[in-house]
Amino acid sequence: MNEEIAEKIKKMLVERLRIPEDELEYDSELFGEDIGLDSIDSIEIIVGLEDLFGVDMSGSGKENFQSIRTLTQYVEEHKED
Amino acid sequence: MPESIKRCVITGMGLVCALGDDAASCAASAFSGKSGIKDVASFATDGCYSHKGAEVALSDDELCKDGYDRTTLLCIKAAGEAIADAGLDIDSEDRKRIGVILGTCIGGAASIDKYYTDSYEGRAADKNDILKMPASAIANNVAAHFGLDGITANIVNACAAGTMSLADACDVIRSGKADVFIAGGCDSFSSLAYAGFHALHALSEKECSPFNHSDGITIGEGSGVLIIESYEHAAARGAKIYCDVLGAGVSSDAYHITAPRPDGEGQMSAIRRAAANSCVDLSEIDYINAHGTGTSKNDEAEFLSLNTLFGSDPDLSVSSTKSMTGHCLGAAGSIEAVLTVEAIRRGEVPPTVGYEGDDFEVLEEKSGGIDFIANEKKAKDLKVCMSNSFAFGGNNASIIFSKEPRDIKNAGNTDPIYITGIGEVTGVMAEGASDYRADLSPELFKKHEVKTAFLRKLDRFSELVLLSGIEALADAQIKVDDTNSGDVGIVVGTSDGPITEIVNFQKLVIEKGIENGSAFMFPNTVYNAAGGYLSIFTGIKGYNVTIANGFQAGLQSVMHACEVIRRGEEDIMLAGGTDELTDIEHELYENAGLLGNGKDSGIVLGEGSVSLILESAKSAEARGSKKYAQIAGYATARHSVPYDKMTGTEDALSRAIGEALESAGIKADDVSVIYGFADGISIVDDIMNSAVSEIFTNGVEIRNVRTETGEARAASAALSLARAAKDMEGLTGDYAMAVSFGAGGIYTAVVLKKA
Repeated sequence: MNEEIAEKIKKMLVERLRIPEDELEYDSELFGEDIGLDSIDSIEIIVGLEDLFGVDMSGSGKENFQSIRTLTQYVEEHKED
Repeated sequence: MPESIKRCVITGMGLVCALGDDAASCAASAFSGKSGIKDVASFATDGCYSHKGAEVALSDDELCKDGYDRTTLLCIKAAGEAIADAGLDIDSEDRKRIGVILGTCIGGAASIDKYYTDSYEGRAADKNDILKMPASAIANNVAAHFGLDGITANIVNACAAGTMSLADACDVIRSGKADVFIAGGCDSFSSLAYAGFHALHALSEKECSPFNHSDGITIGEGSGVLIIESYEHAAARGAKIYCDVLGAGVSSDAYHITAPRPDGEGQMSAIRRAAANSCVDLSEIDYINAHGTGTSKNDEAEFLSLNTLFGSDPDLSVSSTKSMTGHCLGAAGSIEAVLTVEAIRRGEVPPTVGYEGDDFEVLEEKSGGIDFIANEKKAKDLKVCMSNSFAFGGNNASIIFSKEPRDIKNAGNTDPIYITGIGEVTGVMAEGASDYRADLSPELFKKHEVKTAFLRKLDRFSELVLLSGIEALADAQIKVDDTNSGDVGIVVGTSDGPITEIVNFQKLVIEKGIENGSAFMFPNTVYNAAGGYLSIFTGIKGYNVTIANGFQAGLQSVMHACEVIRRGEEDIMLAGGTDELTDIEHELYENAGLLGNGKDSGIVLGEGSVSLILESAKSAEARGSKKYAQIAGYATARHSVPYDKMTGTEDALSRAIGEALESAGIKADDVSVIYGFADGISIVDDIMNSAVSEIFTNGVEIRNVRTETGEARAASAALSLARAAKDMEGLTGDYAMAVSFGAGGIYTAVVLKKA
């Protein structure tokens, strides 16, 4: 996993979604019990990733939104250098 | 047998929206199925997936030359028409008996946009724009424009505000505190709302098509104003009467901050409450002007609610006029009220437009037996009609109009009301700081089992309301569950609302474009989000209103809540005042020239939230509640001055105090302590000191919460009452009073008695 991308995503989640930084790990379940994100948050994540990396995640599968790790993997695979 | 409540009648109407510049032209379009939706002209929408809007063609100056925010100007235009239509000659009326109650969602968003755009683009921001920002300014400015000295309020419950304002106006008339109201709603077309709904993917790409394709809303702007007056007053001046306003119902979903409950429970509760408060059977309703926004979530929930309640009632017709006016947010309920009254007058049901081809068949399947009117109006004798409005925050409101007079039995009582719980969140001045800020660390919320996943959604204003609200409930030992969730209600009072979140959202839109609004922040930009979160967390499903009306809103909310209990609508009300303080508010107050030393050169800002539990005697006895004090009396009085002035309003303060004493049945000498409102603005402090020394000729002890916690605006007003309640035990006499003021010349006084 690209740590640099993961760290940027983490910072974006903390800023945009007011998730307490100390409660957010790379493997925290974003939409489950751990953090409890919902559909409005997913819209915000899509905008945030587009903004940071130019990667469009709209319409992509739920499995990509599981954690910072899966988001990072998606970005790595779809990022155009 | 209980007595009947006062008849409230509609004697005048005014309307401005995308359909036209007056009620007649709007109605001509609406009843011929002509939509006002076009491509957005107010700003560029190049980067957006939708370009549709329903704007008013008139410029600010063409609406009115007073120089107010566009939302206010739209309202002045509609109100002028309504007053003329009602033949109301203000010069020959008692101006103190004519009030203004308006609904708004976005308030002064256009002025917020202008102020921060100027600043972003390197121009000098105009400090005059600062006083145009809060929703609090609107009703007072409209009253000042027409020279009215009656009660004002701004009901800021997002998209239900326009309907709730009409209900509130009727309630005040029925309580005997006014004869006539300029009532309705107003909202301008704003980048704030457009960017917000765009971010939520809630805008329809094409013209919105409620109950049809349901792929989103089209935003509109406008104002609908109705002249509502007591029948006696209307009859005495020989006014024409369009129809009666019967009762209304207000409820909360306690479910989600933007989405309605999918099972429609909250919507059905509002509809049932409206019918019960109107003494009307659901089967008597001939037409419902639906909320019908065009989002799939709303339309599905509303189809379900209507089908569940009205089943296969072939006598009920339903339509959504938003298909032509767009969704005018806080003005929506008022615009739809005008069109519903017009429907009664014409004997015609206006259509929902935009159906073609297979749409009709699909509609027939979805509508069950209910007669949904598509594309073309239908002739029908309409006797009893309902209008529905459902809002962000899970607020639901329904109101009923009747062609003929109907007898409504008074379900209320005059039993004592007690303060049985208090939650206080106040600020402290840190070393080296220049204002008082509250500690809102997560631990304080965790103590009350507020989870991180819930808490992180909240902006500062919502955090304040939530914390004081749950502390007040805990203090009163109230547990909300299925057995009492509908018997508890909420009134949030505020001066400035969630201005930090609004400004941060607006700045983002200015910097990054309308297509880049934040879906996360947008729900918090509506003033009633805080009350919504409180209802979601606690499970409170009863009455829920947010009033923005200057600093005194923290006391006006208590009065409002007491009236809800008196009418028999709820047993327990949670009411109080909240205002937040961040660097954003600090800068705005500083730039407006209002800051000083708190003694004679201006205010020292504070923040906080104070919630009081108000409880009927019956409920307090049944629960064995601890009683801080009894609410003995209250009054609000105004003398119209512009929102940035207070000079010349001494008489209104004297009236508020005098009428509050009178309603408590006591004399000035009976009051031992008065909690005043001196805050360092000389003109305000002089008005208070002179009125108090004039009325309390034998002297009275004056206490002031602002010396310890700063000018926390609506929170200070509510804190004054909370502290008076807590002081009761140690008082030599039996009575204490709390008084507060609001910009624009409005005052509220509340009298407490030892319980």
